[in-house]
Amino acid sequence: MTTEVSAPLPLPNELTKPFWEGAAKGQLVIQRCNACGHLQHAPEPVCSACLSFDLGSAAVSGTGTVYTFCIATQAFHPYFEDKLPFVIAVVELDDQPGLKMITNIVDVDPDSVRVGDRVGVTFNLLGEGFMLPVFRPIA
Amino acid sequence: MSKKNRVAIVGVGYSDVGRATGLSLTKLTAQAGVAAMEDAGLKPTDIDGLVTHSFPNQFVSSTHTAAMLGIPDLAFYSGNVDGAAYSVAAMHAIAAIESGSAETVLTFRTVHKAGQGGETFRGGGGPQTIPGNMQLAMPYGSIAGPHWAGMYMTRHMAMYGSTEEDFGSFAIAQRKFAVANPTESFFHEELTMDDYLNSRYIAKPLHLLDCDYPVDSSSALIFTTEERARDMKQKPVFFDSWANGTTKEADFSLVEDMTHSSPWMASRRMWSRSDLKPKDVQTAGLYDGFSFIAMQWLEALGFAEEGGSGAFVRSGATSATGSLPTNTDGGACNVGRRHGANFFIEVTRQLRGTAGDRALPNNPKVGVVSNAVGGFAACALLTAD
Ligand SMILES: [Zn+2]
Repeated sequence: MTTEVSAPLPLPNELTKPFWEGAAKGQLVIQRCNACGHLQHAPEPVCSACLSFDLGSAAVSGTGTVYTFCIATQAFHPYFEDKLPFVIAVVELDDQPGLKMITNIVDVDPDSVRVGDRVGVTFNLLGEGFMLPVFRPIA
Repeated sequence: MSKKNRVAIVGVGYSDVGRATGLSLTKLTAQAGVAAMEDAGLKPTDIDGLVTHSFPNQFVSSTHTAAMLGIPDLAFYSGNVDGAAYSVAAMHAIAAIESGSAETVLTFRTVHKAGQGGETFRGGGGPQTIPGNMQLAMPYGSIAGPHWAGMYMTRHMAMYGSTEEDFGSFAIAQRKFAVANPTESFFHEELTMDDYLNSRYIAKPLHLLDCDYPVDSSSALIFTTEERARDMKQKPVFFDSWANGTTKEADFSLVEDMTHSSPWMASRRMWSRSDLKPKDVQTAGLYDGFSFIAMQWLEALGFAEEGGSGAFVRSGATSATGSLPTNTDGGACNVGRRHGANFFIEVTRQLRGTAGDRALPNNPKVGVVSNAVGGFAACALLTAD
């Protein structure tokens, strides 16, 4: 590797800005409906539970369960080539049944990850000041 | 249910198909359209509807296609890109004919190998910024279809105890049909379980041999009313029932239940609109963008028990002499990525008796086809007299 390849970086918008600003401060921030309290991810312009447009965000517990995962062994983008193999997972957060996010499971042998594992959020530098909320096993 | 407004498939056709045909999207589309009209014995002036559902970057519009093929006037056209691959085109055509908006509709799915999947993201240059909700997936390396498909497989293994050998059994069974289809298949050797297990992982547990085979292709089918179909060159194949289904989440990776996603919604709806039952179905064409998707459909459609698709395939049920010969052309893993159109074409050929050397010994009169998984899906029951 002679040249460093940039990570695919987010282009924050009105909806995703709280997620990335939260991450930069070491918090997992999820869109929350001010009218009914529903948490939703990915963020959208309207609450899918009550159709309110009055949406905010909230720092959540940062703990959850591995719903499923795969072990990426092909990169599909040059940034990930020297990171193989790594775990791409869907984690169900403790804060609301069915509230899920795509993430990575880190600090672990990929082959030891199991559906149902308990995980907690941590933050990895993505690049250009962006921190990426990822998860690692907890007891 | 009432059958008075049944819609029929009366023509099918393919373009040249290959890894690098050098053919433009428009030429592929033209070739498939001409082939379908020849198969049906129809002229451009017989067509009054056109549907060209395709990828956003692979779009040949319906109006351009009509002009190119000398179709003088369209009573109905559509070119949306949302939904379950080829079946969206088919279902727009059926709905148009059932409503009386058009009488004879030509449908397409044109796919270029170039620019598909991960290749899109392989370009050089500086930092790449990701707009929209993809920014919540791509920074995690979750970029391409194999990632969500691999996650579906892991969830199935965790819920039901299924194994990589179960998934491999489908790739092996499907390849047997490919070997029997030397003119259309790109692969001519039978697979062993070792071949499957030793093929490299793309997104473990998903192997290379679980993936469809990217090619340049266009597929075309012509639909018309039962009344008109009776006078045509080919024996008509009728839609007995068809349905879409979705999940309340649009993102394939975030659906509520990966082992009961949109194929269950579409299947339930399709069966509710038919007098036919799973035991009546004699052949199936089940979408295999990743081979595991076809196994999900075996379960969703009620052919295999939930979690039991591996055992069902290993029993020989999906083979040529089994109870449900499945993907008898070899599937998209072997005949190339046609986004599901190949299954509508192959089941049509089996039901109308034009499958040649591959004609099934059970002489099927009832078939099922399906498209997609996860956020959206579609399926249909096809019959011949
Ligand atoms: Zn709400």
